[in-house]
Amino acid sequence: MNTAVNFNQSAANSKVLVRGLDFYYGATRALKDVSLSLYDGEVTAFIGPSGCGKSTLLRVLNRMYDLYPGQRAEGEVLLDGENILAPDLDLNLLRSRVGMVFQKPTPFPMTIYENIAFGVRLYEKLSKSEMDQRVESALRRAALWTEVKDKLKASGLSLSGGQQQRLCIARTVAIKPEVILLDEPASALDPISTAKIEELIDELSGDYTIAIVTHNMQQAARVSRYTAFMYLGEMVEFDETDRIFTSPRDKRAQDYVTGRFG
Amino acid sequence: MAAGTISPFYPARRLRNKIWMSLSVVAAAIGLIGLFMIIVVLFWQGFSGLSPAVFTQMTPPPGSSGGLLNAIVGSLILTVVGVLVGAPLGLLAGTYLAEYGRHTRLASVVRFINDILLSAPSIVIGLFIYEVVVVPMGHFSAIAGCLALAVLVVPVVLRTTEDMLNLVPNTLREAGAALGMPRSLVIRRISYRAAKAGLVTGVLLAVARISGETAPLLFTALNNQFWSTSLTQPISSLPVVIFQFALSPYKEWQQLAWTGALIITLAVLALSIFARALAARGAHQ
Amino acid sequence: MAEIAIRGGTTHPHSVARAARIRRLALSDAFFRRLTQAAAIIVLLILGGVILSLIDGSLPAFQKFGVAFFVNQVWNPVTKKFGALAPIYGTVVTSAIAMLIAVPLGIGIAVFLTELCPPALRRPIGIAIELLAGIPSIIYGIWGLFIFAPFLQQYAQPAIIAAFGNVPVLSALFAGPPYGIGMLTASLILAIMVLPFVASISRDVFGAVPPMLKESAYGIGCTTWEVVRNVVIPFARVGVIGGVMLGLGRALGETMAVTFVIGNAHKISPSLFAPGTTISATIANEFTEAVGDLYTSALIALGLILFMITFVVLAIARIMLMRLEAQAGR
Repeated sequence: MNTAVNFNQSAANSKVLVRGLDFYYGATRALKDVSLSLYDGEVTAFIGPSGCGKSTLLRVLNRMYDLYPGQRAEGEVLLDGENILAPDLDLNLLRSRVGMVFQKPTPFPMTIYENIAFGVRLYEKLSKSEMDQRVESALRRAALWTEVKDKLKASGLSLSGGQQQRLCIARTVAIKPEVILLDEPASALDPISTAKIEELIDELSGDYTIAIVTHNMQQAARVSRYTAFMYLGEMVEFDETDRIFTSPRDKRAQDYVTGRFG
Repeated sequence: MAAGTISPFYPARRLRNKIWMSLSVVAAAIGLIGLFMIIVVLFWQGFSGLSPAVFTQMTPPPGSSGGLLNAIVGSLILTVVGVLVGAPLGLLAGTYLAEYGRHTRLASVVRFINDILLSAPSIVIGLFIYEVVVVPMGHFSAIAGCLALAVLVVPVVLRTTEDMLNLVPNTLREAGAALGMPRSLVIRRISYRAAKAGLVTGVLLAVARISGETAPLLFTALNNQFWSTSLTQPISSLPVVIFQFALSPYKEWQQLAWTGALIITLAVLALSIFARALAARGAHQ
Repeated sequence: MAEIAIRGGTTHPHSVARAARIRRLALSDAFFRRLTQAAAIIVLLILGGVILSLIDGSLPAFQKFGVAFFVNQVWNPVTKKFGALAPIYGTVVTSAIAMLIAVPLGIGIAVFLTELCPPALRRPIGIAIELLAGIPSIIYGIWGLFIFAPFLQQYAQPAIIAAFGNVPVLSALFAGPPYGIGMLTASLILAIMVLPFVASISRDVFGAVPPMLKESAYGIGCTTWEVVRNVVIPFARVGVIGGVMLGLGRALGETMAVTFVIGNAHKISPSLFAPGTTISATIANEFTEAVGDLYTSALIALGLILFMITFVVLAIARIMLMRLEAQAGR
């Protein structure tokens, strides 16, 4: 039962609506009856102590768990009203609408240009100049263009960590998804790169619906409009970020945000 | 790309995916079934000739029946002596590479040389031993065969020794040095003990490798129809006997060739499985 | 080290005995070090010995025939005229065909094991392949002689001859009576022998691709094949090439798998069905029967050539690998 959950259960402006989600790793139940909404164009943060299930929840939203037999989800996850947990759902299409950026930067073993063009080519046939434009706009959106515009043919691996992560973000936005999932995107980066990433998230919101998992509460407070606090696989409290951090309703949430445990 | 529309490329991409994935399944099927069939045939043919006589009688003259006793014993002698000579050499050299000479010029040269020896055709090693042992001795001998096998053992043992010793964490070595242990004792009492499973595995793999080697024995140990355990005389061995018998037109000899092949295969498989089990146990400790 | 131990406390009752013990240990310590160094040097000497003895043994043949040795097809022990062309050709062609078959199949098996295979079967099949990689080549040889060659002779070769008999170029490739043994048979058996090796190494390097990298590709909607082709294979490129080169080195030097079925004819023919020979098969078959120093020397010369070929292949592999690793910016 979600006693401290405050949100409108209707699908009105929920881009993604999660209802009664259970998740299992084999026989272990990792998510218990989770419900929340990702509102269109807003940034929602998932916070909680290690092992609370926030990454697990994120990875349900693009059915990444499907790659691993023994992991399964039950319940409903509606993207624009359509249940993405349906067994006959086309996963590749889903992932073209719901993109993901990972904890560690993962540039493909290709040139910077190719890293981005590769994804675009999966879905569109563009002329060389059109593709150049698309690559440039993606890199601009990721605030990386000025740094790499003279070395687009260099390997993606030759960039610094922060740059690589922005490349991954550029790669994700290049295929024009509707939702972007960020799994602790700045945890492997230095503070300056982290600040750049947070700026980016702010700019991207509005055009994209964003969910970000973070173990850094201050980051959640900085970037998100809504926050979901999870504990031991349960959705304990889901509310506007300001509310959660100033006057949380649940005691566990209060202990967490005040640093009593972490 | 608006929500829910399917890009025109998608059906083609799905088809390509299906085709290539099916091809890889086909490749796996061909490869595995083919290899499986070879094993099945080997066991079938080999077992039909398996009898106590194989282990109690000598290799027969053409046209009559017999066993493989001298060949089996010969193979055992060649393998054991070959490992006794080659493994300590490989072990010590690998120790030097991993412990003493890690950044020296000598170590990198030896590493490079070792790679060459590791992949050198075994028949060429046979030629080498022929030139330096058989020719001066004036005749073929078991010891020449042992030395040829030893030369094959050294690179394998050297490689695994170096790899395994490199895996031993430096903190262990430092703990030994902190007690005032001299370097050689740190190596012998600590490094070797920590890497024990891996080192033994390396030796076992080397043994498995030389058990089936034929080419280097062809003109070093040669062959011997009769019972012989002397190191200075030519000696019989399973691989060489198989070689000779298989190419002959005599049914009894061909049957013995199959049975001998089965014996070698079982020995190699047993060694490999044992080596794996040891490595797995070592990893868990 | 011994001095430092003594300095700080000669009044300590144990220190005198301790100092003596340390002195003794220092000697054996130095001895052990020298011993390992000697072992390393011996390894060097072994290779030096191999090269020197090969050169020394082959000198008579090279002195007699000169460069013509490499291009002469004639191999006549009676007239004492020897030429290495047929064995060299056989070695190169059988290995090339074997790799052309084994590499795609091996990579296909590796893709299957890492991406498609049900997890429960992964370990058993993986172990099976590794065990198969360790089976001595003579097993493949006799299997080829007694089972595969007759099968080819009875069914496959006549079928191929019938199919390609009238096709212009291919008919020359598959011309001649179906002996069962010959270049093609030897190449196929070599392929079967190298296959577990290539599959095993490929499987190891494919398995080392970080899951997060693969998930990134799936995350933008790639199909499994697209992930393999654009992420897994490029990432594992270095390892796969290394494995292929090692496999090639093995194929070139392989004796027992080919000797039984290659036919042992010192002739080069365009047809793959024709018998031929490889360097190692020639040496294996003829060495003990070789009469006269020139014959023996010619065979040792062949051995030297083979050694050089495998050495060059390995060197090229190394250089390629170093170049690739530098390129990847790692």
